Amino acid sequence: MLDIVENSLAAGARRVEIRVEENIAADRMVIEIVDDGCGMDEERIQRALDPFFTTKTVRRVGLGLPLLSEACRMSSGEMQIQSCPGKGTRLRATFQHSHIDRKPLGNIRDTLITLMTGHPLVELLYEHRKEDKIFSLDTREIKADLDDIPLDAPQVVSALRTLIQSGLEDLGAY
Amino acid sequence: MTLLEAAEKLGLKPVAGLSRLSREFVQGYVSDLLSDVMANAKPGDIWVTLQIHQNIIAVATLKELAGIILIGGRQPEKQTLAKAEEEQVPLFLTDLPAFEVVGRLYQMGIIGRK
Repeated sequence: MLDIVENSLAAGARRVEIRVEENIAADRMVIEIVDDGCGMDEERIQRALDPFFTTKTVRRVGLGLPLLSEACRMSSGEMQIQSCPGKGTRLRATFQHSHIDRKPLGNIRDTLITLMTGHPLVELLYEHRKEDKIFSLDTREIKADLDDIPLDAPQVVSALRTLIQSGLEDLGAY
Repeated sequence: MTLLEAAEKLGLKPVAGLSRLSREFVQGYVSDLLSDVMANAKPGDIWVTLQIHQNIIAVATLKELAGIILIGGRQPEKQTLAKAEEEQVPLFLTDLPAFEVVGRLYQMGIIGRK
């Protein structure tokens, strides 16, 4: 998730929306990441799935999208990318929820904290639905409430950490 | 020990990266989780895995691994073979299970970590 959002930020995104839906009844988990970055044409989308294609200059491989694509495939899901130059990108990764090879989501709390503190000027929405419960966090709303206090102030980070952890625990997602 | 020597002793079939079979190696790593290999394998390791997707070639390149042994009779995907050849990453096939491959390598003096 961190890798994919870093791609969005590298594409100049100012707002990134991450939505996770766990639908036990339908045996499906969906992760959707939408950004308002510079977008990609069809050729670039295809190249983005090649592990040997990267826009980074420090190494020759870019594994975020190829690894996510493979993770979907291994749990009977798929990954779709919709993008258009100048109109941002929407990535949708689906997984069979009960699949034995489905990788765990990982440490969502620390992922979100890393993103928020690393890029305090970027708006980040995280929305996680599990059955009929939902946890949602939008840094645009948080920043409005904080006034001049920066998002990466230590006391804000500590409060956000607690908020995210308790929210995900209530969902049964942590 | 060179990759070629190990292949001959274990009956591994080299299928790509043949120009680099004279490479010496002394350590190995076994894992099927690519994130684990990216975090913990070291340059020069021989990697034992059942993963056949082309991502393994990217990981091997990124981590400068000596080569990859695909176990259990698994066949690399077409794109994996092509990338291995393009990047000259030594790729070997065997019907042996991972436990056997690693055990035999260890008996031949290839270590995990000091």
